[in-house]
This record gives sequence, C-alpha cells and structure tokens, in this order.
Amino acid sequence: MGLLNWFAKSAPVARKLPAGSFTVDRHGNVMTATVGAEYPQWLLDDTGREVLSLFRGARAAGMPLTGLDLNFTGLHITAREMQGGAIIFFSPQNAFAASSSAERDRA
Amino acid sequence: MKTREKILVLDDESDWLEVCREFLGRLPGQPDIRTVSSGMTALSLLDAEPFQLLLCDLKMPRMDGLQVLSIVRRRFPELRTVALTGFSDEDFRSRAYALGVDMFWLKSDMQQNPQRFVECLESLLGQEDDSGFRDVYSKNLLDVIQMELALRNSSVLHITSGRHVAQVWIKDGQLVDVRAEGADGDAAFWRLLKWKSGTFESLPAEPGHLQTITKSVDALVLESAQAVKKAESPTPAQEEEETAFVTRLTAVAYEGAEFVVTIPDKKGDTAKGWGIKDVDRLAAWARQAEKSAQRLGEKFNAGSLTHIAGHNLERHLLVMRQNDRTFVIGWPPGSDPHRLFEQSLNLVDTWAS
Repeated sequence: MGLLNWFAKSAPVARKLPAGSFTVDRHGNVMTATVGAEYPQWLLDDTGREVLSLFRGARAAGMPLTGLDLNFTGLHITAREMQGGAIIFFSPQNAFAASSSAERDRA
Repeated sequence: MKTREKILVLDDESDWLEVCREFLGRLPGQPDIRTVSSGMTALSLLDAEPFQLLLCDLKMPRMDGLQVLSIVRRRFPELRTVALTGFSDEDFRSRAYALGVDMFWLKSDMQQNPQRFVECLESLLGQEDDSGFRDVYSKNLLDVIQMELALRNSSVLHITSGRHVAQVWIKDGQLVDVRAEGADGDAAFWRLLKWKSGTFESLPAEPGHLQTITKSVDALVLESAQAVKKAESPTPAQEEEETAFVTRLTAVAYEGAEFVVTIPDKKGDTAKGWGIKDVDRLAAWARQAEKSAQRLGEKFNAGSLTHIAGHNLERHLLVMRQNDRTFVIGWPPGSDPHRLFEQSLNLVDTWAS
C-alpha cells in the first residue's frame, strides 16, 4: 500500500492570497515585510524586482511613474516608488471587496 | 437675419486664449468664441458643431497645430483657418500655407497691431460666400484679374511668387493669354490659381499678343475647381477610415482622455498613438508591464489581469486589453482614479466598435 501512495497525486492545497506589505530597496532587497510566512522570501524578491523593473521601464519610456497598481480579479498589487526602491501592498479581493461594477463585469 | 459667427481658438497656453478672446470680442456681430487647449478637443468640437473660423496655434505638445490643420483641411474644407505662432520661422509659414491656411500671423504682430489683426479676420469671415471655389481660389490674384476684366482694361499683369513668374494678358476686359510655370493658355491659368501669394504689377497692354484663351475666367475657375475636387475626393475606404478616426477622437475628448496608444498583438503591426508623440517607447513599456503582471498573477494565483494603472503628478495611465490589442490611455492629473477604469472601458468599447 505504501508503494501505491508514492504515485498518488497530492491533493491541491488552497493557498490564501497574500495580504500585507513589504518594502524593497533600489537593488530589490526586501527590507521589511508584513506578508504572511506562507509566502517565501523568493516570491517577495521576484515581486520587488518586477515592480522596480516596471518603474524603471516607465522612466526610460519617458513616462516616469510614482505609483503602479496591478489589478487582478483576486488580488490588487499596489506599489509606490520610494527613492529608487518601493513599498508594495497586497490587497486580496473577494466578493465583498469594493471593486467597481465594471471590473466585476469584465472578470 | 445673419446668424452669429462661431470661432474656435486652439492654443495650449491659457493666457493666449484669453488674448485671442479679447481681440475677437472686437469683431462686429459679437461672434460666439470658443476656446480649447488640445487638438483632439478641437477636432471633436468641429465635428459636433459648425464653425466659420479656426485660429490654431502651431507649436503645441502632443498633436501640434500642423497636424490639426492637415486634418481640418481634409475634414472641414469650408472652414476658414488662421495659423498663429510665436516663432518667426519661414519653414512653419510655408508648411502652414501648404496646408491651405487662409492667414498666417505671428503672435508678436498680433499684439503690436491688434486692430489690423481684427480687420483681417473680419475680411476673412466676410468671404464665406465664395467657399465653393475655395480649393483653387487664390483670392488676391483672382480678385485682381477679375477687377481688370470688370473694368474692361487692357494690360499685362506681371505676377511674381517666390521664384515663379507669370504673365497675364488682358485685352478689352477679355483674358487673352497666360504664361506660368512653363505652360501657357488654360493650363497656365490653372497653375496660377494655385499660387498662394505674390506681387502684382500692371504693365501696358500688348495689342498684338496672340490669343490662346477663349473661355471666360468663370468657366476656367469652374473647370479647375472640378479637376481639383475630382483629384482630392477621397475613396469610400478613406472616408470610412476618416469617419472612424473622428469618432475615436470624439470618444477620447468626450471621456476627457489626453492620449491613446493602441498596441496590436501581431508582432509585425505597429503601435499607433493619438495625442502622443513617442508611441514606440510607451508601447514597449506597456508590453513589458503586461508580461510582468501576468507572471506575478500566475505566481500568486491571483486570477486574470483586468488592468494596470500608473500615475505621477502629471497624469494617470491605464493599460488594458480589448480583443486583440492592448490600449494605453493617458488621463489628466485631476481625474477621479476610481472612475478611470470605467471611463477607459467606455473609450475602448467605442474604439473597438
């Protein structure tokens, strides 16, 4: 029986969407974080790098931005530029969240 | 009873709009004066309401005056146009005249001689009735020729326009011959009608000059107008494209957006921008932003991406997808960020339709 268990698919685990915030410096290093421990450091690192890259890309495109919001149906990622680094917020969305009717329709 | 004339003034500087408003207020008949600060708003307003005169600044951010005038020339051929600029630049002047503007004024001249400016505009507005021949109607030149004919004069008009020289022979109020740009007869007369400006000199008649023109001036002008109209009349596809273009501009202006960039999915197709100059760099960034956001969304199982919003002190930016293209829409800084997504969606829907 133990052998059979090896081939059994692991049951999908429902992971909570991240909530909280973290800060990254201009090099993408995570400085402080209030995001739950179930989200590993590398995931925050990746997020920080993507966000910083978007701020830099916008600047290079002649449209420097001080704030960015990535809006998904289940999560809003909000970033504010801070002296080359950024503070990034995760706001999970649910059926009761105050998203606009247009966003709900589009989702 | 004559209706109040409507004048539209386009300038990105609010101070100048006020100056123009004050000058135009001196025109007799108290015209209805409207002012706008962007080319797109001007075009949508012209599309929505009939105007008799457009005063257009040439140097403006995003859509400049020459772009506006080139659209106006095709879209509203009856509209009288005056180009205004703060820069004494011959290139600007010749490009504006090439686009068929009726007048070109330096802002400094306007300020130094406002009375003359107002008189010129008054004269321009008074010429509305001859709009049927406007495509070829070189006003000063034709006026002079017709005056000579009406007075039943006999003379040779020596006309100079830049490096071109022409001669018009008139005998007893009849047009006898024209020579211009290496042509003579009817062909020379038609070429002459296209000259926008020049100087005239009336020389003594040459009674023995050979007659090459037998038609009346009116007949020649009519033939020329018909030829120009035929050459310039757009194809149905061009008309459709132009209508779609103005509909889009109207949607942009109605919602209050500053610019729109459309980025097709297909790699070979280029991005297009309305109200913005550096389209390619912004399009490249928008593509990068979409990919980055999608990567993050997958990592967090965050669901589908609805849109990306960005802002700085000067504007709001919204990136969203519709059908097979990505839209980047710029909004002014005072916009309500909570309404931008819905407004962008309205705009994009109009665009797609």
